[in-house]
Amino acid sequence: MDLYIAAFGFGLVSLSVIAIAAVGFTMQFGITNVINLAYSSVMISSVYVAYAFNHAGVSIWLALIAGAIFGAVFSFLLNRVLYTPFQRKGTSLLGMVIVSLATSLMIQNVLLAIAGPYNVSYVQPSGGTIRLGAIVLTVVQVLVIGIAVVLMLAIHALLTFTRLGKAMRATAANPTLARNCGIPTSRVIDVVWLITGALCGIAGVVAGMNSDTFAVGNGPGYLITIIAAAVLGGAGQPYGAMLGAVLIGEMTELSAAAISADYKEVVAFAVLVLVMVLRPQGLLAKRGALAAAG
Amino acid sequence: MAVIGPNGAGKSTLLKSVIGILRVTSGHVLLGTDDVTNHPPEELARRGVGYVPQVQDIFEPLTVLENLEMGGYLLPPARVRTRIDEVTQVFPALTSMLKRRADKLSGGERKMLAIARVLVLDPRVLILDEPTANLSPKLADNLLQEQVRRLAEMGKAVLLVEQRARAAMQVASWTSVLVSGTTRLEGSPGELLGRPDFEELFLGAGTGLKPSSGSEEEER
Repeated sequence: MDLYIAAFGFGLVSLSVIAIAAVGFTMQFGITNVINLAYSSVMISSVYVAYAFNHAGVSIWLALIAGAIFGAVFSFLLNRVLYTPFQRKGTSLLGMVIVSLATSLMIQNVLLAIAGPYNVSYVQPSGGTIRLGAIVLTVVQVLVIGIAVVLMLAIHALLTFTRLGKAMRATAANPTLARNCGIPTSRVIDVVWLITGALCGIAGVVAGMNSDTFAVGNGPGYLITIIAAAVLGGAGQPYGAMLGAVLIGEMTELSAAAISADYKEVVAFAVLVLVMVLRPQGLLAKRGALAAAG
Repeated sequence: MAVIGPNGAGKSTLLKSVIGILRVTSGHVLLGTDDVTNHPPEELARRGVGYVPQVQDIFEPLTVLENLEMGGYLLPPARVRTRIDEVTQVFPALTSMLKRRADKLSGGERKMLAIARVLVLDPRVLILDEPTANLSPKLADNLLQEQVRRLAEMGKAVLLVEQRARAAMQVASWTSVLVSGTTRLEGSPGELLGRPDFEELFLGAGTGLKPSSGSEEEER
């Protein structure tokens, strides 16, 4: 039993990383109507920006902030320079997927040329461990969980209580009507890319902190997990992505304890397929932060 | 002012061009003496033009209150609450449903919210695209005879596009008849209805304009 409780603890860390990433990904789709397959490439690029700062002697926590800023600015520019011009030309949703996939490949290959294919790791204090029954986590892992909780609450507060967040939801629901109300939808979308880009950057760096090592080749793996969590919860729904992250994060770790670590992703994605068969719109397609609060 | 005409006459296209959703390729859109041709919708909202589209007229995933708040997006935050209070006095039925999700509203409630949302900004000009579409005859009559008339009495210039031609003419002081994208006739409703050839000019054939008390159902 202790094995499962310990696995549940590791699942909390995994789901925290996935939740940060998946909420950013799903908000990009829900509000700006772009399925951004370059998300994981921005994520892994942020990991390496933080790595560069970290290995220059900067604390991992300041490097985390640098990764978040890089993710925000890179995502903002990606949208302004690449995606928006294509959307203005009337490129279809599928066309935008291809554009983002091509962008992703370019970013990854440029990053590979700069950083090389080697496995690297952050310099971070071990900080000891925290034990809660059979759950044993490092201080860094507990802080990662804390960061995820704070960010999820912040996203909830943004979308539910602020004028900007409500304008984001209005833009997601009906962009033409939003413009008729005087909402500057272009500026709202700019802010969405900055916020979701920051989430992408943070997710990448905390994923790097939670791994012994990382490499440029980890990017596509991130993307599969992020899409699984976002689709499981209901595409475009931030609360759905949070729920999807909980399910994917815990299932991967618990199945590792039950069967073998080799099969943990197989089990998680089998459940994803099952949910898609029974409820193709995802678990929370009718609700979520983009829908009305309460 | 009412713009009437048969299906496919170009009424909604005209409004979308006026409101900046579609690009105008010839002619001008004047707001008072200002040329606002091809100004974007958000700029027209700033200038006091409110628009209620025929469909997708509310933010469905948002609550009624949040819809009204979005209607007042251009106002200073402190003023929005006051305006919502004022608008809900005009539409008191909305008061009890402020926390309800907008997609849970009935057709009549939904249209009431759409008009109330626009009114939060206190626009000078109100553009309504077939506000009675999908409403029951009773609700449609109520909307045109009471609510649209009330808007005009509040000092708003109302540009109304309607398929329920006679009912629209009963509340309008000026009517334009649009057929195949061009203005076939215009004048006061009294003048137009007084013309013996009005029905023929309206459509060239059956118009649905036989004398009635106003609702489309009865006209048919």
